[in-house]
Amino acid sequence: MKFFIDNLPIIFPYDRIYPEQYAYMCDLKRTLDATGHCVLEMPSGTGKTVSLLSLIVSYQQFHPTHRKLIYCSRTVPEIEKALTELKRLMEYRISCADTVEEKEKESNFMGLGLTSRKNLCIHPEVSKEKKGKVVDARCRDLTNAAVCEKGRQDPGSVDLCDWHENLGKLDPGSLIPAGIWTLADVLQYGRDNGTCPYFTVRRMMPFVDIIIYSFHYLLDPKVAEQVSKEMSKDAIVVFDEAHNIDNVCIESLSIDLTRPMLDSAARSVGKLGEKIEEIKQTDAAKLQDEYAKLVAGLQDATDDSVDEDAFMTNPLLPDDLLKEAIPGNIRKAEHFVAFLKRFVEYLKTRMRVLHVVAETPLSFLQHLKDITYIERRPLRFCAERLQSMVRTLELQRLDEYASLQKVASFATLVATYEKGFLLILEPFETDNATIPNPIFHFTCLDPSLAIKPVFERFSSVVITSGTISPLDMYPKMLQFTPVVQETYPMTLTRNAFLPLVITRGSDQVAISSRFEVRNDPAVVRNFGSILIEYSKIVPDGIVAFFPSYLYMESIVAAWNDMGILNEVWKNKLIFVETPDANETSIALENYRRACDNGRGAVLLSVARGKVSEGIDFDHNYGRAVLMFGVPYQYTESRILKARLEYLRDAYRIRESEFLGFDAMRNAAQCVGRVLRGKTDWGLMVFADKRFARADKRAKLPRWINQYITETASNLSTDMALTLSKLFMRTISQNPNENQTGISLWTLEDIEKAQAKQKELAIEAEQSREDEEEYGDGGIDDDMLVDFDLDV
Amino acid sequence: MPAKDIDFMDVDSDSDISLPAEETSRSKGKGKGKAVAKPKKTKGKGKANEQAYTWEASYTRSWDTVQEDAGGNLQGAVEDWMARDRRRRLLAPAGAIRRTIIRHLILLLDLSSSMMDRDMRPTRFDLTLQYAREFITEWFDQNPLGQIGVVGMRAGIGERIGEMSGNPQDILRAIADRHKLEPIGEPSLQNAIEMARSTMSHLPTHSSREILIIFGSLTTCDPGNIHDTLDDCVKNRIRISVVALAAEMKICRELCDKTGGQFGVAMNEGHFKDLMFELVPPPAQNTLSRTPGAGAVNPAADLMMMGFPTRLPDTSPPSLCVCHSELKSEGFLCPRCLAKVCDVPTDCDICGLMIVSSPHLARSYHHLFPVKPYEAVTALVDVSDSTSACHACARILPTTQSTSTAAEGISPFGRYRCPDCHNDFCTECDVFVHDVVHCCPGCGK
Repeated sequence: MKFFIDNLPIIFPYDRIYPEQYAYMCDLKRTLDATGHCVLEMPSGTGKTVSLLSLIVSYQQFHPTHRKLIYCSRTVPEIEKALTELKRLMEYRISCADTVEEKEKESNFMGLGLTSRKNLCIHPEVSKEKKGKVVDARCRDLTNAAVCEKGRQDPGSVDLCDWHENLGKLDPGSLIPAGIWTLADVLQYGRDNGTCPYFTVRRMMPFVDIIIYSFHYLLDPKVAEQVSKEMSKDAIVVFDEAHNIDNVCIESLSIDLTRPMLDSAARSVGKLGEKIEEIKQTDAAKLQDEYAKLVAGLQDATDDSVDEDAFMTNPLLPDDLLKEAIPGNIRKAEHFVAFLKRFVEYLKTRMRVLHVVAETPLSFLQHLKDITYIERRPLRFCAERLQSMVRTLELQRLDEYASLQKVASFATLVATYEKGFLLILEPFETDNATIPNPIFHFTCLDPSLAIKPVFERFSSVVITSGTISPLDMYPKMLQFTPVVQETYPMTLTRNAFLPLVITRGSDQVAISSRFEVRNDPAVVRNFGSILIEYSKIVPDGIVAFFPSYLYMESIVAAWNDMGILNEVWKNKLIFVETPDANETSIALENYRRACDNGRGAVLLSVARGKVSEGIDFDHNYGRAVLMFGVPYQYTESRILKARLEYLRDAYRIRESEFLGFDAMRNAAQCVGRVLRGKTDWGLMVFADKRFARADKRAKLPRWINQYITETASNLSTDMALTLSKLFMRTISQNPNENQTGISLWTLEDIEKAQAKQKELAIEAEQSREDEEEYGDGGIDDDMLVDFDLDV
Repeated sequence: MPAKDIDFMDVDSDSDISLPAEETSRSKGKGKGKAVAKPKKTKGKGKANEQAYTWEASYTRSWDTVQEDAGGNLQGAVEDWMARDRRRRLLAPAGAIRRTIIRHLILLLDLSSSMMDRDMRPTRFDLTLQYAREFITEWFDQNPLGQIGVVGMRAGIGERIGEMSGNPQDILRAIADRHKLEPIGEPSLQNAIEMARSTMSHLPTHSSREILIIFGSLTTCDPGNIHDTLDDCVKNRIRISVVALAAEMKICRELCDKTGGQFGVAMNEGHFKDLMFELVPPPAQNTLSRTPGAGAVNPAADLMMMGFPTRLPDTSPPSLCVCHSELKSEGFLCPRCLAKVCDVPTDCDICGLMIVSSPHLARSYHHLFPVKPYEAVTALVDVSDSTSACHACARILPTTQSTSTAAEGISPFGRYRCPDCHNDFCTECDVFVHDVVHCCPGCGK
């Protein structure tokens, strides 16, 4: 259907539209017009992606400036889903276009998705590699500039990737015909035409209208510099599923070093040294050449390189990038190797310490200088220098140098940033372990650092998710000012989900996962009885979330001893999520099977785990979510403590405020898994007395919160069961009512709503005018005249 | 009430946060937590029993569902019910539809332990048995040519409770003894459906094969893949309907959707009965089920052979019957092979001929040619004086509008008109004609 928002024609690929989708589009348009940022929360399963895409595409096609859209999603399946949605939309648009020119314009619209080499490689041998890093390295061996040059001059002397070579023969800009290409389409096209899908996408990026890729390509400075450099400033950036964007930001700037990694780095340094000796014997000119280049300055050294095959780029943010030459003491190759050796050895000695150390980058540098005489300035160029050297030496199989690369990035980061970072050395894995397994954390404490360049560079950044409440937290944490900040309710013709807060067991004992009481047998048993009772009355799948793996393990062990698991077994099978991804995916597969064939199953999983983040439990796969306890983070973690302290000092976010916010967004994320659309239904059970508090509930997204009634916010197990039973009977009735007009709008409904809006606006204006009329408070001339006459 | 509850809950520190400043409050919280836990233990022990007490269950406030109007009358509520019935009838397709009148139904009863649940009174199990009896009686009344068998699912297997039979007494006897059917263990949908399927596998194509499952459980313990069984059922053109007593299970919904049956979840006792009785009228014949290779090239000329037996009087000399090998004087003689059977309708045990009596055939007929729904008269403009009385019972029809608000499909004058003969009928006669007589007195057909 086609309709107008203000004067922008929107083409929406379905006959009906949800009211919240319409509202979402209106707000999005407002943001784009104002060229500002926005935070939007819209319930999952209400067609967020399609409304977003259809508005932005309409906007792009309508305005001659053609702002590019950068759409970031979290996982590969989600990227693929968005691309499919986009493809559908464009097909619809083409079929809707009236004139030939318009049709032409629509079919010239181009959209691509980018993912790693591992997913896009079609080289018969390379693509068989299991690890992404190895695929990357082997691909680079076959495609980097030096090898290509050699191969072309002297065919057969080195292995080259045919698919990549074929690509070189086409003119840039027309590697692939216009249109929307999903990842699968690109792969197929590559296979059919003998071209490399990965490089096709990479090289086409300046020419496309919409690019869809993962968060990291924009947030991680190591990757962003390579991939997203050419994006124009007026591009529209969308972060979908952005509820923990702050964690992604922090991760992208944090580095953990372990002892095996340092050992491997030391070996790599040795290998580098040998290689240099070798080169010196055979081709001393090469090293001399590099040296000369480095003297000339960093900028020139990087400019002529093809950045596609860069082994690593500077982990620094663009504005911190240095514009000066590499210092003299690491210009010579052998000097640099010695420098690295010293630095690695220093880190190794630091790791021998058996007590926890937390220090700022400044004190670390001071100590480093005292012991090894390594200055701050050369350290900053470590990453840059390593890259240049790797290029000069034409090393193969770069994945073996991964640890060294990490160490170099670490050196550069630690020497560059003073604020917002902390170094923590933890010699033991857990508090009561006796065998040291030291980890050196270099953690970023400030999520706004990584995202700052994005906000500064792009005029419109849209942050959206199903669960992003409370909305004002994100602008505070990420340091930006949104133009629009909105959350939408969910319009439903029937209450498709029932949130219940259980605060006490049937025996009236308060239940809580608070640390002091969580292992109390009474609490454990009450949690168990909730599981048993719900396994009896809920059909098909139940997903239960625990705050942590540790707690899940202890509680499941206790349940086993109490015979609770045997009780549950009578009604449903039990599956457990483990930290191991493979095990979990097998468990998930079997869980799905059990839900499909009617046996029914319970999945015990962990908030913040893989299951809670990326996996949907739609329809029969999740008829109920049980949230055992409030999923607070592990507060004893030193990294978290440091982060909390930083947030308090820098942004005045109180510790408890942040922890509460973080716990509730994870809880919302977990329970949100169960409802993936308007035909879906499910129960949401919050089992902890702390959920009953108003301040906790207020942090839940509005679309969940609006359905928590006063009676359902403080229940005992048996009361909750009665309500659940009733709900389940009611919701199982065949849905035959017509949703049109209430939760589904046709074109007329939209026009009606718009007319109403206009009326309201006019009314508001009128009332303002009225006020103005009476504003002067005097008596009209006419009235005065009348008054006179009367007398 | 909620306010009171909050008072009882101890207010404690909000979270797991243990920052140095809060160290003291944390230890305090610990003591508190323990103190809370203690009385609970002693209390909890007594009722670890899984049986819920009656007072824990929800109230049934049946009187609340009836709404009185302003004058305190129940007239409005009753009319609402009737309007609902009428609307349902209007929705039903009016024209002649191919319906299968020779029906074979397997009643599949859930006899697993979940049937002991008391959320339907007295228990799901007792209620199911009671409704099953009523259902069987009603079903045979409407479908005299049909046959019913009963299978139970108990302790993981399918159990044959009553053989397929055309005699309601046999079936009722089979489920009469409550103690033989005591629910136990877990149900297995697959086993039970397989058993029902094998019972019906020999049936000819012109008869319908239906399974009605009364399912109280929310799980099924199957030995194999139930989807294979489902595919077999689709292939054998078995129609599965499910009445669930607790909630919607995906697999049940799938069984019904794929085989063309009905699925319903009972809200309460009355609704449970409604859902079951919706399955009494014969289902429309599935055009999909006629695969081209099945032999019936022209569905219009699909004839079948039936025999009308000779009834032996009570006074005839006793002889052995072929069905039970008992010496009896009364019985029916098969017109083809002259074997003696005890009851009709049935298939002759000797020659396989279908033996029916003509009244049976006639009774089944009304499903094929239903009485058209009467139209509600909403205005008195075109009513002549002669039709001031009901055409059926001769009661004088009111000419003033009744006070209650008119719902859709309800005449404010209590007057309903046959679309064919244009005679007017009163509300009661309208119901009686459509539900019992199945023949319009005005048209006479």
